[in-house]
Amino acid sequence: MLAWLESLSWITDPVVIARQFMAGLANGMLLFLVASGLSLILGLTRIINFAHGSLFMLGAYAAFSAVGSNANTWPRFAAMLIVSAFAVAAFGIAFELLILRRIYRSPQAFQLLVTFSLVLICGDAVRLIWGNAEHAVSELPTQLEGYIQPFGVTFPVYRLFLVGAGMAVCAGLWALLYRTRWGILVRAATVDRDMLRALGVNVGNLFTAVFALGAGLAGLAGGLAAPIVSIGPGLHAQVLTDAFVVVAIGGMGSFPGSFAGALLIGQANAFGILILPQMAIVLPFALMTVVLVLRPRGLFGGRE
Amino acid sequence: MIMRNWFIPLALAVLLLLPPLLSDFRIFILIQIIAFALYAVSFNLLLGYGGMLAFGYATFFGLGAYAFGILLVKVGAGVVISMVAAPFVAAAAGALIAYFCIRLSGIYFGMLTFAFQMLAYSTFLKSYDFAGGDGGLRGLVIPGLLGTPKGIYYFALTVVTLCLFLLWRIVQSPFGIVLRAQRNNERKSLAIGINVDFHKWSAFVISSFFAGVAGVFWAIANQSVFPDWLDWRASAVPIVMTILGGTTSFAGPILGAAIYVILQTVMTGFTEYWALFMGCLILVIVMLMPQGVIHLFERRHHA
Repeated sequence: MLAWLESLSWITDPVVIARQFMAGLANGMLLFLVASGLSLILGLTRIINFAHGSLFMLGAYAAFSAVGSNANTWPRFAAMLIVSAFAVAAFGIAFELLILRRIYRSPQAFQLLVTFSLVLICGDAVRLIWGNAEHAVSELPTQLEGYIQPFGVTFPVYRLFLVGAGMAVCAGLWALLYRTRWGILVRAATVDRDMLRALGVNVGNLFTAVFALGAGLAGLAGGLAAPIVSIGPGLHAQVLTDAFVVVAIGGMGSFPGSFAGALLIGQANAFGILILPQMAIVLPFALMTVVLVLRPRGLFGGRE
Repeated sequence: MIMRNWFIPLALAVLLLLPPLLSDFRIFILIQIIAFALYAVSFNLLLGYGGMLAFGYATFFGLGAYAFGILLVKVGAGVVISMVAAPFVAAAAGALIAYFCIRLSGIYFGMLTFAFQMLAYSTFLKSYDFAGGDGGLRGLVIPGLLGTPKGIYYFALTVVTLCLFLLWRIVQSPFGIVLRAQRNNERKSLAIGINVDFHKWSAFVISSFFAGVAGVFWAIANQSVFPDWLDWRASAVPIVMTILGGTTSFAGPILGAAIYVILQTVMTGFTEYWALFMGCLILVIVMLMPQGVIHLFERRHHA
């Protein structure tokens, strides 16, 4: 007990706190990109996409395929992100049109199995295509490499870039959902898709587009994460469970909920590892359980 | 109907007489089928009869296995007590988890079972002192004749047959009928005075008990327990088996378990990429045979 209290001495150290906070923020932003797509798809189609982590993984692999381990110029870096987002979005469209579309009215267990089969297929497909070895995108444009040291806090530039990029995507997504006619339709379909269909809106196209958007966001997150993770067949698992936690905490289908939930889980992971090094991975699931027990609709979910 | 009068005695006779002719590896596969059959039928008590889709069902299978392993090698409670107590640990966990889950429905119900499962998974994964951490528990050996492959086989066959008989009686009892009634129409059931929550909760506890039994036998057969058995991917296994076989009959999940285990064994021997085939197969079956494989048999008998 005393030893544990002594291990908490970092609490008085603003440098450590700032460093962990920024690391949690960067990871939270990536998590937000994945979780917001998962939540959008869940809100609209009522399908829990167990393959969403796999889409993130495909994004990272697509990034590696696009540039190899070398993204050291801005055009290469941009190409990497564009390929990862659009390749995975295209994959999402194909999956939605060929398979998901046929099971919107099926029992929930079937929908779950279909997305789970995609987990199995993606897991082996990446091993077939890219092998069992772990890959990495190790070179970045010089402006994104290295560290900055404001106020004595050493912080990698790329993580700052992630925070900025995440903020930008979040703002764009918000504008898309709350400031365009298309966004109004998506939110309306989330509330009552049958009514929207009766009003003459092509809800099928809306589902395809939202699935593509969600897949593209997961792919983009995978591309953004490619330089800081090792790209291997196991990459999807923790992303998926973390995204589930975020969606449950924020409220299924809630856009602000995904944002707040992702930031919360990013921080919980960053500080959990300092507070309870052994049990840090329990913390997100404990939060998820507590929220679902006390407030099943999530912190930001409305009434259903 | 697949459950003809002659079918069960015949199947049992074959299962009783077969082992002397088989290699230990084949017997191991049969033990897996037997344990997973109970696992799948327990799961279907919730899904098919109760209308509850638990995403995190591996919790109870895994907890049964872990409780057995921990009691045996960490507590030193002895084989008999470990085996008998483990399913009750799973049922106790089921009682607690069900208390919170049954108040929710649909996706929320499923997500909360998922949350509890990941809570259990991450806890066991990091508990090195009493659960072996990421390496799990090994050396769960039963001494004597019961510890041999054939001994485990006959032991598992006896206990699982008994458990399946009990489950069969449960779904045929008034309790089982009420369970189906609330599945079909919860509001009507409430209106005629059925205590829906109590029936859901009881079904959950019964189900987790038998899943725990299945977990114990799987731990005995493997002589170990691994945290992977509690991972979210492990929870797809009972769902796959149940949907493969069909949710609408008692025997469907048993058939599904046999198909799943045989397919997995054949494919892992045949290719490193068996998960790819399994994924494609699940897709095909869900798209083409939404009633489950057992429907093929039933239709032929009706024709």
